[in-house]
Amino acid sequence: MTGLKQAAIRGLACAVLILPGIVSAQDESPRQQWQKGIAAAYSDLASTSQSLANTTRRYCQAPSDAGRTTLVDSWRKAYTAWQAVRYVDFGPIEQNSRAWQLQFWPDSKNLIARKANYWLGQDAPVTADQVNSDSVALQGFPAMEYLLFDQQPAKRGHALPEAQACSLAVAIAEHIQTTSQSLSDDWAAFTPHYVEGEQYTATTVKAALNGVEIIQDKRLAAPMGLRGNGSRNGYLADAWRSGESLTTIKASIKGLQTSFLPGAVTLLKQNDQAKLATKLSRQFERTLKEFDALPHALAPLLETDDGYRKLQGLFIEVSQLDQIINNNVAPALGITRGFNSSDGD
Amino acid sequence: MVARHPLKSLTVAIAVTSLTACSSGGDSAQANAERATGTVTENAVIKNYADIAYANYQDALTTAKALNDATDALIENPDSETLKAAKEAWLASRVPYQQSEVFRFGNAVVDDWEGQLNAWPLDEGLIDYVEADDYQHELGNGGATVNIIASTEINVGGEALDVSTLTPELLANLNEVGGSEANVATGYHAIEFLLWGQDLNGFKAGNGERPVTDYAQGEACTHGNCDRRAAYLDAVTDLLVSDLEWMVAQWAPDQDGNYRSELLAMESGEVIQKMLFGMGSLSLGELAGERMKVALEANSFEDEHDCFSDNTHNSHLYDAVGVRNIYNGQYSRVDGSTVSGPSLSDLVAKTQPELDKSLKSELDASVNALEDMKKSAEAADGMTFDMMIAPGNDKGAELINTAIAALVKQTGSIEKASAELGVESLAPDDAGHTF
Repeated sequence: MTGLKQAAIRGLACAVLILPGIVSAQDESPRQQWQKGIAAAYSDLASTSQSLANTTRRYCQAPSDAGRTTLVDSWRKAYTAWQAVRYVDFGPIEQNSRAWQLQFWPDSKNLIARKANYWLGQDAPVTADQVNSDSVALQGFPAMEYLLFDQQPAKRGHALPEAQACSLAVAIAEHIQTTSQSLSDDWAAFTPHYVEGEQYTATTVKAALNGVEIIQDKRLAAPMGLRGNGSRNGYLADAWRSGESLTTIKASIKGLQTSFLPGAVTLLKQNDQAKLATKLSRQFERTLKEFDALPHALAPLLETDDGYRKLQGLFIEVSQLDQIINNNVAPALGITRGFNSSDGD
Repeated sequence: MVARHPLKSLTVAIAVTSLTACSSGGDSAQANAERATGTVTENAVIKNYADIAYANYQDALTTAKALNDATDALIENPDSETLKAAKEAWLASRVPYQQSEVFRFGNAVVDDWEGQLNAWPLDEGLIDYVEADDYQHELGNGGATVNIIASTEINVGGEALDVSTLTPELLANLNEVGGSEANVATGYHAIEFLLWGQDLNGFKAGNGERPVTDYAQGEACTHGNCDRRAAYLDAVTDLLVSDLEWMVAQWAPDQDGNYRSELLAMESGEVIQKMLFGMGSLSLGELAGERMKVALEANSFEDEHDCFSDNTHNSHLYDAVGVRNIYNGQYSRVDGSTVSGPSLSDLVAKTQPELDKSLKSELDASVNALEDMKKSAEAADGMTFDMMIAPGNDKGAELINTAIAALVKQTGSIEKASAELGVESLAPDDAGHTF
């Protein structure tokens, strides 16, 4: 029997189990659990983004050191909230390349700097419409990060809170807020469809799997120089400008633990895989524990043997997590993968 | 974008396929009879796949040799005519090569080799002079501005390298020097850069405008080092020819120890999986995603595939034609003849004639959408791909989005066809697994 068919049959079994009236509050279906977890994550993204837009406006209206600290802190919180739900690659996030609107990455040609510099060099203040209709590279957290942390804007005479930099920062922060709020609203509208749709069980597991693989291969292996004949290059990590590359990875794993793991555990138990459920939970804990010994930035760790060993420790745990989902969890649930948008070279 | 190596997790496995007869396909009369009676075997389909690959790489080689001759003539006698002829030879060489890209994903022998031929986007400052003001390259790439043509020694990542004599071997060693995939020293796009130069027109009409005097020897030489520029062009085109000779030999019939013999000896289901995996990966992740959607959504002409020549529309079109070739088991050679035989289409049609019909029409729809893109790009006052991706160009975006949507659609049917033929992209083989 093929895996797809098994999944379909198991799906039917699940449907029987969750008939309304039989289910108690404690016996939520995996998709109900996922739905709630993801809804909470999007809601968190919306509220932290709202706060980012507010603090950006406030800082630009009345600049102060304290205001700057608040602004950086709110940027970090909102970006972290996005990392937590970044693995969800289906549903409303698929509209209008919203994931890239929030974070265009990887950026092999330093497009973020090119696009931001163009607007910094204009005479008239940047409007929300201009940001809305420009490149996704201009619209998200990395472009804000460029304005907050990169040395280039200062060299061009546009260090925050300079007027043109402020008009751009406010327009970007408001774009992030709008995108995040729409995601949260659209997820709520999508909920009945998601909870009813059997196919979303496999979709959700595959999303988690892809999310872990992107952490392993692109967010860790690439900067560590572990791909092909690659060399170490901290610029290949995300959030290198702010020195938060590892903060964002931790947030993504923590996000998976919070919104994906509970439903996965339920689903595994329904499939008589309680031991595997425990194994998966433990691997999340082990992986997150690695961050206790790690700083926020990734790039400095590439410079020393001791630093690199610490990164290797994290990489091994992430690989383990990937293998458990890929080799154990997915097969146990009869879930197979099709082509996906990261199949390219 | 950055990634140049397929992720290992995408290594695909295959569910057990039922093997029936093992006829080798044989001559076309036999093949036609098999198709008519619905008795096409997987092995016959695989043999035809290898035949198409062989013909396709032979064509890539023939046109690369013509390119090599044309660049030799340019080097010998640099004038506007020889430059024009060299550019035309390059454009012609892309037609068969792009169709061969469908063999990449799934066949490691191709994937491990192709980085030396078609890697992109490149940090072209590795090779030659670039505009200082607006040259964007991969951050942290120590090779991005070393300018091999202007140097006898370069230093990348703390390592000094003697580049005084430019040979095919040296250039092959310099590809991805310093461990950056953006350090493309060889292949079609390096040659493209040497013929056209940087396209400094941004989203506006026009492509690279390298003056032919960049190859003039003596006083007339522009931008310096014309002798080394000529030597580079000579070496890099020689390397392209020898690389393609190697690949042709891998697919040649009746040779022990080459890839074709290895492939024909594999379990047939495994090869069917490679065929479908190549089709789906090129359609979705590579062509629709990396080569169109990224460039469009980011409004990034740096992410344009043939960014120096503005030939991107043809490169996209022939990728899609290549995908269709594999499904239909048919390839039109550059000399106008056709290689044709038992196909995946025949296999699917045996049990799922409706799916076969829709997949065929979807493959046609993708090719048609990219033909529309070509028409727009090649019209008088046309709109090339780098103009289509400009912010606010709704008409351009629509052309690209139509092509993306068509490719996404066909990928869905390729997945269905895979399931129908017993192929799974990830082994769900949970029988006997212990946890």
